[in-house]
Amino acid sequence: MENPSTKSSAHRDKIPVFVLTGFLGSGKSTLLNHVLRQPNFSDTAVIINEFGDVALDHNLVRVGDTRISRATTGCLCCTLGSDVRSTLHELLTMADAGEIAFDRVIIETTGLADPAPVVNQLIPGGVAAFGLADHIVARNFELAGIVTLVDILTAELTIENQFEASKQIAFADRIVLTKTDLARDPATRKDIERLRVQLALLNPSAPIIDWRSDETDPAELFSPRRYRPTDLGDDVTSWLALETAIAAEAGYHGNQDNDKSRLTRHGARIRTFAIVREEPVDAVAFQHFMKLLTDSAGPSLLRVKGIVNVAGEPERPRIVHAVQHVVYPHSVLERWPDDDRRTRLVFITDGVDPDPVKQLFEASLKSRSTFAEQALTMIKRGMTGVFRSGAIQMARVWKSQTTR
Amino acid sequence: MVDFPRQTSPMKASANPIAPRRGVPEKTRQIKAWVKEILELEHDVAVSVTELACRDEGCPDVETVVGVMHPGKPIQTLRVHLPISEITRDDLIEIS
Repeated sequence: MENPSTKSSAHRDKIPVFVLTGFLGSGKSTLLNHVLRQPNFSDTAVIINEFGDVALDHNLVRVGDTRISRATTGCLCCTLGSDVRSTLHELLTMADAGEIAFDRVIIETTGLADPAPVVNQLIPGGVAAFGLADHIVARNFELAGIVTLVDILTAELTIENQFEASKQIAFADRIVLTKTDLARDPATRKDIERLRVQLALLNPSAPIIDWRSDETDPAELFSPRRYRPTDLGDDVTSWLALETAIAAEAGYHGNQDNDKSRLTRHGARIRTFAIVREEPVDAVAFQHFMKLLTDSAGPSLLRVKGIVNVAGEPERPRIVHAVQHVVYPHSVLERWPDDDRRTRLVFITDGVDPDPVKQLFEASLKSRSTFAEQALTMIKRGMTGVFRSGAIQMARVWKSQTTR
Repeated sequence: MVDFPRQTSPMKASANPIAPRRGVPEKTRQIKAWVKEILELEHDVAVSVTELACRDEGCPDVETVVGVMHPGKPIQTLRVHLPISEITRDDLIEIS
């Protein structure tokens, strides 16, 4: 098979593969959009990995004529088979057929990804090749860097509570601080310095880069280099070894039908669900829903992202993002990414069930306070006791607003 | 047209005093230390801890896997059917 790198400007023997990771809402798609706009990134193949049944991220990344966006619904890190390798092999096959040309691959992982199984599929000495396709991938691709984004607003709690976040930081050979433009006062800048110390404890090797610094060129993050896990310390090499041992013990859990393992990295408390609505939504009602939800669910609301069909503006969808307690400014698209013009909201939560969120959504759009109160009460049940007062308080806020 | 809110939050907002804290990094270090102590491991034996889950019926939702790595030997794995944050020293004694 001809190496597609010979069809473009690549000068390396192997095509560099970069992993772009970072916990939910850390800004991976934003950074990716920025980088893909650079002229020298025109020959970049992008693999976008999504967690959940409704794929949306691939619509939020601009796709030009010469690059590919492949969305996989499911989690790359949850398969002990050769999911990453098989996707790379597909790209290579398409390049060989002359359908595409690329000299770089960027894999954007889900924010919940454990990097260890992904890395193990891409480095020599990792997971054993399962067949010819895996050998071809090993000959043609090499892991050239892991870029981990860290949202300064949520990093402290995320590292405390989510095991995957620490591993994402530890595996990085570049750590990028995001949302630093929101840190304008001296006290917050001091907090960032404290965060840098915390990150250096988790990963003493990787440079910590401020994305918003004038000196930072995001494109440099994806310049090929040699990624060596041994440079990152004992934790990383031990995790990779343990990952190999777990893969070898897969029979422990039985049921290895097809290459999808029954193992997953994410416990049952992590839920993903979607709200899909055909009819346009009222902007004010939607605003109210987002405020109630983020105020009441707080850190248990790991991520909300969506595309919204707003009543009165059917041709210009809104892109909405929320991470834990923060609702970010929406953006407006000048056109829909595809023919699907429904409002689609994807939620990833930690201990919050889908039904009350859906009920709150419907109640907010229809201004039905009783149902909204019931929904907020149900949301609290899925959360730890320390959040209960918050949810109850929000139910009272709803009541006071609607009885004025 | 009515705009959606343009709310931002300073870094301090994440230091919410009522937010739950599982203390995962510190607990991970603690588990390693407990395992080394309980198994009386030499200094050249590495211990690694990871957390994963299983969808199989009858298996726990979340389990913690501890890898004990003696030089030149296959990795010994210990499995505790709890998330990292809930593991106690007694749990590790039980499976050792």
